[in-house]
Amino acid sequence: MLSVLLVASLTAGGLTVAYLLRTTAAWQDTAAQWEHVARVHGAEVAEAQADLAATREQLATAQTRITQLADEKAQLGDESAATQQLADYQARISRAAGDVATALATCIDGQQNLIGYLQNPQLYDAAALASFRADVDQYCGAARDANAALQAELTR
Amino acid sequence: MRSRVVVAVIGTALLAGCSMLPAMPDPVPTSVVPPVGTAGSQLSPDGFDAVQRMAVRIRNVGCGTLSTGSGFAVDAHTLVTNKHVVADSAELEIATYDGRDIRATAASTALLADLAIVVTAEPLPYAPQLADADPVQGDPVTVVGYPLGGELTVTDGTIVGAEEDPLQATLGTVLITDAQVEPGSSGSAVLDADGRVVGVVYAKSQSGYSYVVPVSTLKAMLNDTSAFSPAPTCTG
Repeated sequence: MLSVLLVASLTAGGLTVAYLLRTTAAWQDTAAQWEHVARVHGAEVAEAQADLAATREQLATAQTRITQLADEKAQLGDESAATQQLADYQARISRAAGDVATALATCIDGQQNLIGYLQNPQLYDAAALASFRADVDQYCGAARDANAALQAELTR
Repeated sequence: MRSRVVVAVIGTALLAGCSMLPAMPDPVPTSVVPPVGTAGSQLSPDGFDAVQRMAVRIRNVGCGTLSTGSGFAVDAHTLVTNKHVVADSAELEIATYDGRDIRATAASTALLADLAIVVTAEPLPYAPQLADADPVQGDPVTVVGYPLGGELTVTDGTIVGAEEDPLQATLGTVLITDAQVEPGSSGSAVLDADGRVVGVVYAKSQSGYSYVVPVSTLKAMLNDTSAFSPAPTCTG
């Protein structure tokens, strides 16, 4: 009986040792594989971190440039608007000065004619002469109004 | 009888011993990288912060006058700025943080505060939340705007106090911050640490502090449509 037990125990022990050896080898192999996976992923992470840092830098540079370009565009828009306002102002001044010149020329022509008529008033109908004088006053009044408009534009 | 007991004990011991043996390892996967989820949806489409994306630059082209100011979106087609930024304009020209032009379709000014709202034809990039309460002394704030009509600038500071509006441009109490502002910053959003709007810059004091219309006043105005009237314009 004891011999049977001894054989059984030795057999069981041998099987256990064999199993343990096989298990140990399998775990060692698994550990090596995990280490390989970890190293591969570690390298990938390091590469990804480097790429991310470079991308972040590029993004920051791009954002800074976008902000600068937006500002440059805004400044150009300001200058364009100011230039347009100046051009509008100069156009109004030129138009007002032209109105003054035209009205003044009409006034002067009328006054010169009136002076000529008044040198020999007996040659003209008194009513017509008075009417012409009123017309000349109107021309010169228009010149004064045009000049006032010009002065108003200049002081705006 | 005794031998059977011994056999039973030994058998039981063997079974117990087998259960204590280590199992064989599972196969090692080729990759342990998790699948990429949809996290990060809060990111902006171009990497700019929400603080910058909410800001707009306003050019007021008047009749012989030209000025600039700042503003910020409160919804997709509405922005808030100061009354004096949009008043007496022949045309309002709005630009976003990235230089895009936005057309203004209408402008209204508040009757009792230096506030104005502008409605836009195109959608604005981003609209922040309005804070539930006004900030208090010591709270950190961030001001985002276009000082001197220049580049978009983000400036940090703190609330240093509150007082009755010294300029009488706004009814009630206004806040004071040490965040640096310049002409052109009028209409800038004042944000708390969570990026929520807590006020609107409207003036600068001689001592270098900035006056801020508190968010409570802003919300009261926005909730009362009768508080606004069409902005005065110029012609000629």
